[in-house]
Amino acid sequence: MKILVVGTGQSLRGDDAAGLEAVRQWQATFPPSRCCAQTVGRREIRVETVELIGLGLLDLLAGAEAAILVDAVHSSAPPGTLLRLGPHEVSAFRPDSQSAHGWGVAETLKLGRSLDPTLNDCRITLIGIAGREFGLGAVLSREVQGALARAVEMIEAEVHSLL
Amino acid sequence: MNKSIEVTALARVEGEGGLYIGIKDGQATEIRLDIYEPPRFFEGFLVGRYLQEVPDITARICGICPVAYQMSSVYALESALGVTVTPPVRALRRLMYCAEYIESHAMHIYLLQAPDLLGHESALSLAAVAPEVVKNALRLKKIGNHILSAIGGRSVHPVNVCVGGFYRWPDAPPLKALLPDLEWGLEAACECVRWAATLPYPELDVDYEYVALHHPEEYGVIEGEIWSSKGSQLPIAEYERGYIEQHVKHSNALHGLTAGRTLYLVGPISRLNLNHKQLHPQAQEALKESGLRLPLRNPYKSLIARAVEMVHFYAEAIQLVKTYKPEGAAHIELKLKAGEGAGATEAPRGLLYHRYQIDAQGRVRFAKIVPPTAQNLPRIEADLFALAPSLIPMPQEAATLTAEHLVRAYDPCISCATHFLKLKIEEVK
Repeated sequence: MKILVVGTGQSLRGDDAAGLEAVRQWQATFPPSRCCAQTVGRREIRVETVELIGLGLLDLLAGAEAAILVDAVHSSAPPGTLLRLGPHEVSAFRPDSQSAHGWGVAETLKLGRSLDPTLNDCRITLIGIAGREFGLGAVLSREVQGALARAVEMIEAEVHSLL
Repeated sequence: MNKSIEVTALARVEGEGGLYIGIKDGQATEIRLDIYEPPRFFEGFLVGRYLQEVPDITARICGICPVAYQMSSVYALESALGVTVTPPVRALRRLMYCAEYIESHAMHIYLLQAPDLLGHESALSLAAVAPEVVKNALRLKKIGNHILSAIGGRSVHPVNVCVGGFYRWPDAPPLKALLPDLEWGLEAACECVRWAATLPYPELDVDYEYVALHHPEEYGVIEGEIWSSKGSQLPIAEYERGYIEQHVKHSNALHGLTAGRTLYLVGPISRLNLNHKQLHPQAQEALKESGLRLPLRNPYKSLIARAVEMVHFYAEAIQLVKTYKPEGAAHIELKLKAGEGAGATEAPRGLLYHRYQIDAQGRVRFAKIVPPTAQNLPRIEADLFALAPSLIPMPQEAATLTAEHLVRAYDPCISCATHFLKLKIEEVK
């Protein structure tokens, strides 16, 4: 199965970097060479860390049969809470971005699916990390830093479920 | 009747802020385009950094025009060190700008402004009735992404750029492989101009002072002089002699004015009006075919200016890719010294100015960045003043949309300084 793992966010905006950081840490913790049993399967995994992904997500999804998106989210849940949205929930998820430049995941997928129905066949899961501090120049909050190890395990479990 | 229209957030505009229009006895009494977030954060963030860190940081100011941000800083720092890059490096830099303009313009034309002009809520509803138009938009944009990925290592926030050139020459085959796509893009861009000329534009005629970078031998994007339609021609290093910034009470963003405290306009309309003679012949042909008469004075028709520029940048990209041949060192070895330098390039949204002071170890001691949107903010407010009386008889929703359309026509990238906007209209009896 062709699997895409994408970490996205903004590295200079505090907890908005959570998705980028989680995917980087997952890559470091579970490099293909350390996972002999899954090495063959892992050759099918493409990993991307992209800031301000917007509509570029559609390009990345081309050819993928499953995708795991990892991103920071604004949420009423306490900072550091991990949220998993399955394929159906991702379509309904509406982040607060209404910008044409920073298209949100849900509206980007909606646009992509309306133009290319084959995108419906791609199984997309979102791992959201609830953030607290999104100001320019902020660093990752203590809560989000503390959640990264769990996020890494969650990404790995998601990948395993697909292999 | 007194009325106020408050747009606490503008949908589909990058940035955070809001719009307030106060109307009394049929006249606008107050216009405030509010910006919430400190725009100058990045300047402070750069102080103390080694100069080669600067392009990677400034690229992150904007997700839409990272090339212009990083390259304006590179030119300013090279000026401080007295560095001039080689012709192959310069050509590759221009190709990066081609990619950025293609991406940014395709997005603004089809996904931001065209839905407004055609009465659609967003590109999503446009896609439902005209899927081929939106598909073309995404393909046009994607080609820009591919060029940038091939040169800069990735399509957002390129990492291959350094003061003095590039860390390494990009491989030629991936760039040359883009030629068929670029040829398609050129045709599609010409078609875009024809289509753009048929769109229904609201009437608005404004006597602007146009300001843009001008280069006698090429379409002004990097290097050259800062020209104004009022006759001023300044070297980039003297930008601050001709143009100032001022604090306004309602905004965290500084507002740009000429030194004579008058308003001016930067962006595609200014570039086209001042530099149309330097357009690629195919873009000139497309412009002629569009029937557009210059000088362009209607801000809504900036869409046509963008479409013409898209033709230019596709045509220039084809030339640059065809002739791309990495020769010599990809970058110049720097000799550090204390100094000061200014740089200005044309971002898709307009003139972008940077100035830095560095110490003998190459560390930034002072940074100043003047984004295009900050320069246009007073101009947008003035246009809204002109528009305000026509908003009075409109229902609230229509008035909001009309005000938003005008602001969006400028393609303000308020996130160069700020983040999101939220929207609300309020009437006061």
